[in-house]
Amino acid sequence: MTQSQVQLPKRQLLQTHLLRRESIGNSYHVLTFDAPGETGPLPGQFTMIRSSEWGQAPLLSRPMSYLSGGPTPSLLVKVCGEGSARLGRAEAGEPFLLLGPLGTAWRAPDPNRRQILVAGGVGIAPLLFLAKSLAGTGKRPLLLYGGRTNRDLPLSDDAAESCQVEVTTDDGSLGHRGRVTELLERTLNDQVEVYTCGPDRMMAAVANLCFAAHVPCEVSLEAPMACGYGVCLGCAVPAALGGYMYACVTGPCIEAKAVDWERTHATFGKPAAKGEPT
Amino acid sequence: MTSQSVRIGSLVLKNPVLTASGCFGYGLEFDDFFDVSTLGGICTKGLSLKPRDGNAPHRICETPAGMLNAIGLANVGVEAFCRDKLPILRERGVTVVANIFASSVDDFVALAERLDGESGVHAIELNISCPNVTHGGIEFGRDAKMAAQVTAAVRAATKMPVWVKMSPEAGDLVGVARACEDAGADAITAINTIRGMVIDVANMRPKLANATGGLSGPALRPIAVRMVWELAGAIKIPIVGIGGITDTRDALEFLLAGASAVQVGTASFRDPCSAQTIMHGIREFCEERGCDVTELIGKARR
Ligand SMILES: Cc1cc2nc3c(=O)[nH]c(=O)nc-3n(C[C@H](O)[C@H](O)[C@H](O)COP(=O)(O)OP(=O)(O)OC[C@H]3O[C@@H](n4cnc5c(N)ncnc54)[C@H](O)[C@@H]3O)c2cc1C
Ligand SMILES: Cc1cc2nc3c(=O)[nH]c(=O)nc-3n(C[C@H](O)[C@H](O)[C@H](O)COP(=O)(O)O)c2cc1C
Ligand code: FES
Repeated sequence: MTQSQVQLPKRQLLQTHLLRRESIGNSYHVLTFDAPGETGPLPGQFTMIRSSEWGQAPLLSRPMSYLSGGPTPSLLVKVCGEGSARLGRAEAGEPFLLLGPLGTAWRAPDPNRRQILVAGGVGIAPLLFLAKSLAGTGKRPLLLYGGRTNRDLPLSDDAAESCQVEVTTDDGSLGHRGRVTELLERTLNDQVEVYTCGPDRMMAAVANLCFAAHVPCEVSLEAPMACGYGVCLGCAVPAALGGYMYACVTGPCIEAKAVDWERTHATFGKPAAKGEPT
Repeated sequence: MTSQSVRIGSLVLKNPVLTASGCFGYGLEFDDFFDVSTLGGICTKGLSLKPRDGNAPHRICETPAGMLNAIGLANVGVEAFCRDKLPILRERGVTVVANIFASSVDDFVALAERLDGESGVHAIELNISCPNVTHGGIEFGRDAKMAAQVTAAVRAATKMPVWVKMSPEAGDLVGVARACEDAGADAITAINTIRGMVIDVANMRPKLANATGGLSGPALRPIAVRMVWELAGAIKIPIVGIGGITDTRDALEFLLAGASAVQVGTASFRDPCSAQTIMHGIREFCEERGCDVTELIGKARR
């Protein structure tokens, strides 16, 4: 696998505090932490985060993709349940524990192809991190960004700095009315490669279009996680070769071909996925 | 200097803190975090004769101060464990307790025989209490006669210490534990998870694909402490206490109730170094009081 050739940064449980929280509307927040001297995450990696003030409930840490790395890493959080609601209320100075960086990073972009990033809602986070890492290489990826309404497209303005952005909404309140896959279909050719993160259904549709067009496609897997570092075996995702792989160690970033999307649908189709309001 | 070493039958542990089966992988996932050989020991993920894929997702969900899991004993199988994992653990000097699972007495025996010759395995823990598989597991752990039968058969198949892991769902816990003691068990591990369920109200379906799952974490702790307390009054072999231990204070409860050692499970998920922190914490507690750790065992009973 390509990822295994990349040297991943050392994982650690970082005791830190929140530098700032910016509310960016409709229950989205950007949280920035203090992590001086850290090597930091690679684009696509995630952290298991909890506040030291949570005590025994919420018991587990929450998996969140890095929006940026370096000495002040940030996360994009969508409020949907108890843990994310607390993240959405956190004040500067609050003590936090960040276990990370965890999981695989995005495969290094192919210099001979154009990168197309397909994001659904909060799935924008790891893709924007990737796009920003391309700055300076002369590359400007195409971002196809879908949400239910114009209020479900956090950081779309920010994205315009590093990407060519095309937006779709289900209700037509901004950009193209319809689904990102309708835009994607028109842009696929043998000069491009695709990176996608969002609801499972969206990623499966993106993967299918890419398979048909013989375009390389990378996805960021999502599954409930207890540990995030490969010991609980809770984050099983059906593997194309049979059996399961573990989203936190084999993923989250992995080639779409490695996933058995039909079995994934059967099991993950039902609960609200990332980016879909609950 | 206080002594931290404890004796579990013929096995002497450096200190009383182990990690629980299913919550610590094969002990090789912690290189970035701490030196696992400093622990009293580690219990492997439950090993079966053949590799197992485990249950369909969703396999886990969070509950108040706890979590449910229905992993379904996914594991690499005893052969791959002995070939790929054990040599590294042995070289590092890790004290390894091999947790094993089978759906028949014959398979339990085959597993014990396979592990018997392996240097680097220090004890065998029989999981007769897994709530998440359709055959074997908990059926053996609910019934004193069946539990004794498995224990005796494994006892005869290996020279290694044999620990038997209790199910909190055994109607007569003390009866099952006594039967295992009489059948030659060296220690009793208590407890495994207790079955629970969560329904997703929005989807009107169980949250777990398996519908039910084993409850672990702090929510389980008072039940586990009570069970260790009852066992300590009824059996002579050592007890290894487990259930919802997240910090030093929790671990001390189990020792004071009568456990000779403890296992840390779910707590490792949110902090991979939990067991190490607890190990240091118990030592400090003993140093402050100028006692050996063995003096704490069962102290709340006296
Ligand atoms: C690799 C990865 C990266 C992610 N990146 C982001 C991100 O950048 N921004 C963001 O807002 N969200 C992200 N998510 C989803 C996020 O983890 C969940 O929204 C969050 O855990 C919900 O917690 P809660 O307490 O608010 O919800 P609750 O429903 O109260 O949570 C209950 C339990 O279910 C788990 N859970 C609930 N929803 C999800 C979900 N969708 N995925 C996984 N576990 C879930 C929780 O972790 C918790 O243990 C990511 C998930 C994964 C696996
Ligand atoms: C995800 C998970 C997997 C587990 N797998 C096993 C297993 O393979 N064999 C076993 O005997 N116990 C297994 N257990 C039970 C634990 O070893 C322990 O008995 C239980 O979780 C209670 O301790 P805790 O509250 O500290 O986690 C598992 C528990 C969890 C949470
Ligand atoms: S979250 Fe525990 S193994 Fe992936």
